[in-house]
Amino acid sequence: MLKILGRLTSSNVQKVVWLCEELNVPFERSDVGGPFGGNDQPDYLALNPNGRVPTLDDDGFILWESNACVRYIAEKHGQGSPIWPDDIQDRASAGRWMDWTATTLAPAHGPVFVGLIRTPADKRNPAAIAKGRDDYSKAMGVLDWWLADHQWLSGDAFGFGDIPAAPFAFRWFNLPIEREDYPHAKRWYDAICDRPAFKKNVVDIGLA
Amino acid sequence: MLTIKGRPTSSNVMKVLWTLDEIGLPYEREDIGGAFGGNDTAEYRALNPSGLIPTAIDGDLVLWESNTIVRWLAAVHSPDDLCPVDPGMRARCEMWMDWQLSVLNPLMVPVFHPLVRRPEAERDPAAIAAAVEKWSDAWRILDDRLSRNAYIGGGAFTMADIPVGPLAYRWFELPIERAELPNLRRWYDAICDRPAYKTHVMRGLS
Repeated sequence: MLKILGRLTSSNVQKVVWLCEELNVPFERSDVGGPFGGNDQPDYLALNPNGRVPTLDDDGFILWESNACVRYIAEKHGQGSPIWPDDIQDRASAGRWMDWTATTLAPAHGPVFVGLIRTPADKRNPAAIAKGRDDYSKAMGVLDWWLADHQWLSGDAFGFGDIPAAPFAFRWFNLPIEREDYPHAKRWYDAICDRPAFKKNVVDIGLA
Repeated sequence: MLTIKGRPTSSNVMKVLWTLDEIGLPYEREDIGGAFGGNDTAEYRALNPSGLIPTAIDGDLVLWESNTIVRWLAAVHSPDDLCPVDPGMRARCEMWMDWQLSVLNPLMVPVFHPLVRRPEAERDPAAIAAAVEKWSDAWRILDDRLSRNAYIGGGAFTMADIPVGPLAYRWFELPIERAELPNLRRWYDAICDRPAYKTHVMRGLS
């Protein structure tokens, strides 16, 4: 049985759990990280020396980095499904949005999300949050640009390339911040919200 | 003909040029970004709205994100060599490529930028020293990996080695206090023997 180590309030754990449910892959999950701790313990660090979540244990095959986990599960269990496109060029294009989420969207969202949700009100840095919001908005504008011409980040169908960005889109549309109008990103986000596994593992978890 | 848009001094462009030469694939390159500019034009933004480099163009395909380009080139042109065909081995390679993006690169920035791109009078030595310490922790993780594997992906040189390569050059060339990491050093020496790495990566700090 596939094991996922990591608390579900982590956007990076959410990606992996959500994908498993999209593909009906059975798994067991255990709470590690954040208030649950355990990620600084020798047994966890022996699996994942970064001490981050999630870590995947697929019958002894250990993998971390959430996007690498998404790609691995999508390829192993998504053959023949649009989640793992047959065409190598389509996969490259979809995969770009995973790397872009790691390099651009997630770092831009960090100061806003951590500042507003994981920092007590009296310890917040409003200037850093405001600057972060501008970066976050700029990144959402890039999604909007692509989605003006494409139904999904992965192309014509929902695929693995849509997964990493979506938890950060959820936070964008739900954080108490000023939001520019990004109609194409909103149309895509609404379609993502119609997916039961996203609703259960991202929307219903809320901002925490 | 494959076209790469991006100045060759960018570590992200280096990854792609190094990959292309490892494969032996012909390409054209245009200087974009940094002192060359050109990445804020409407024409470039229509290809890559972030204005970042590199962008790769091959027929109808317009691709950006340097690791995505490396992965795509390896999968199409170098299966079973730069890109392992075994799904588990490939996933292991991709894990380390993602680690370069999410861990190693963000920790490099507060070391590299002040030392190379800021005048000495404007540097904060204590902040740089603290940043070097954090960056060292990431290199220790890779050193441990390399104590059990000749290369980052496993026993052979693969695409997993490429994203880390330009950052390793900076680690070994920057004027900083370096932790003693013998396995990393052994791997780096092996990488330095590769002609394509010499050409595209070992070209000074700028």
